[in-house]
Amino acid sequence: MKPKPIKEVKARIQQHRRVGVDYFRLRLLCPEIARLAQPGQFVMLRVSDSSDPLLRRPFSFFRIFPPQTKKRKRPEDEGALEICYQVVGRGTSRMTQLREGERLDVLGPLGKGFWPEEGRSLAILIGGGIGVAPLVAWAEQLRREQGKKKRFSKTSGNLKEVLVLIGGKSRDKIPGIREFMRMGLEPQIATEDGSLGFQGLATDLLERELVTQGHKSAALYSCGPLPMLARVAQITDQFDLPCQVLLESRMACGVGACLGCAVKVRDRTLRGALEDEDARAQGAAVHLEDRCGEEMAGSWREGLAPIIAEPPAFFRYVRGCKEGPVFEARDILWE
Amino acid sequence: MSPKTDNPSLQVNLGSLKLKNPVIAASGTFGYGEEYSGIIPLGSLGAIVTKGLSLEPRKGNPPPRLAETPAGMLNAIGLENVGLEIFLQEKLPFLRKARCPVLVNIFGSTVEEYAELAKRLSAVDGIAGLEVNISCPNVKAGGAIFAAEPKTVYKVISKIRRATSSFVMVKLSPNVADIGKIALAAEEAGADAVSLINTLTGLAIDVQTRTPVLGNITGGLSGPAIKPIGLRMVWQAAQVVRIPVVGIGGIVTAKDALEYLIAGATAIQVGTAHFIDPRAGLKIIDGIQRYLQANNFPDVASLVGSLKIKKDTGQPT
Repeated sequence: MKPKPIKEVKARIQQHRRVGVDYFRLRLLCPEIARLAQPGQFVMLRVSDSSDPLLRRPFSFFRIFPPQTKKRKRPEDEGALEICYQVVGRGTSRMTQLREGERLDVLGPLGKGFWPEEGRSLAILIGGGIGVAPLVAWAEQLRREQGKKKRFSKTSGNLKEVLVLIGGKSRDKIPGIREFMRMGLEPQIATEDGSLGFQGLATDLLERELVTQGHKSAALYSCGPLPMLARVAQITDQFDLPCQVLLESRMACGVGACLGCAVKVRDRTLRGALEDEDARAQGAAVHLEDRCGEEMAGSWREGLAPIIAEPPAFFRYVRGCKEGPVFEARDILWE
Repeated sequence: MSPKTDNPSLQVNLGSLKLKNPVIAASGTFGYGEEYSGIIPLGSLGAIVTKGLSLEPRKGNPPPRLAETPAGMLNAIGLENVGLEIFLQEKLPFLRKARCPVLVNIFGSTVEEYAELAKRLSAVDGIAGLEVNISCPNVKAGGAIFAAEPKTVYKVISKIRRATSSFVMVKLSPNVADIGKIALAAEEAGADAVSLINTLTGLAIDVQTRTPVLGNITGGLSGPAIKPIGLRMVWQAAQVVRIPVVGIGGIVTAKDALEYLIAGATAIQVGTAHFIDPRAGLKIIDGIQRYLQANNFPDVASLVGSLKIKKDTGQPT
């Protein structure tokens, strides 16, 4: 397996705009990365040349503009990436000072992005707050795959429809509404303060949709705050629908070297071994002892399944930056 | 002063180990090499040290594992690694093709585990040597660390020395009272080199929740913030041992690396800086070369330990 190419470039800032109270959009000219970028992947930006703040910051793609070979009408046609960020700490505060025309050190594309779920006719995109941003790039990609049209149409192809459910604390804390509209998608919107659309959460919209419409052939793609993702995972599990989640985590290197961005996932391999009688006979319980204590291992040894729904033993850590940031929701251990 | 050198040699010798330049990628920050192979030419580096390896795979600590601090970072990865078997099957084949010497960082929870790892790795092709991490919990001694006492350092390194004829470098912890004594114990036990410093134990707190930021509560501090401490300890260790000292701690630029060389390091390791700039190591190699040229040094060796101290000022204690 050859490693995927990762580029480090000094990208010129084509556009930098405030789009809400503490939301900003940053468009970077970097054809080398835009050519390779997939929705759900991310870049690591070096937000300052000083050693404080020290680390790069990870950002998912809000929009991807692959370099156009034929007509280059707009500046972004040369190949650009747009990110949407919320000011949350020292790194993002520093970023608000960046000026158009300046150059920024960009490393990417990184990680594993969204992938199309086979044989599903409906894609449900559900996002919360700044987590809506990467779903915009994914919707654009789905639109392209539907037949290179600007707007969605209920025509041929595997995927017939895209449904967008988005939420946030208030109307000015939801990016991308206009972009979805331009694609011909009519996003259902929920705000916690009721300033726009339904008063409540995006997950309320999801439940309503699934209860009333069924959507048996849907696949879900989600990004947002952790409690929201955990709830989306729960709902999609109940309705037995495939669901991908884009997880945020603290990162240092972004390339899989430091193991700092660990994400806890189910370890199906060990579990499989333990549910397999032969493996049990061959002492799989011994492994279990150092994972979850003697008592439980003892009951396995006697062929008794311990009475806990999801034994804590069966987990491992994977890298948010390499095996992720997009995961299957059912693999994640939500704690 | 020698005549002006247009082409100074960057080659350094760490005991029996010859490196084409003194810049090494530090353990735990460079994965198993492959992670950076799509970004930089690994063959340009002096050497790579792989992620700490134990006999059995280790899961590591619960997240969050990272915290950013002023000019530094805390990590509490918890020595997560694939274990010896998978390392040999899945990681080493790539490293063999890297055209760059590979040092395997090893650790164990008992003296026997260290020796066993050293023995099994010495029979393997494509490994230039070992870096022994002695700053991890010693289960048998109830959570003390090997690195803290000259006696335990001597014990574990002499056991490793008997188990292998490979190049053995010992990575020292800064969380000790007298670094010189620890370095000496490693030398007396037969180490070929010492590398220092490992991270300093630190803490970060979230004031909103009044909880520790890290899942492990404490973590290891690295980055520019620790450079003065690393530099001081390297200088102290280099005063007392005859084996080569490899400097680690907060090296980001060529200037940082030069300071370490002048303080007595024969080579240096780049760790945290690679997260910020994957080319940091390569830039440091260029910078050292330019400095040698500009200051008429024929080679790196003539710079090592060249710190000028007036007679009547601070001597190392």
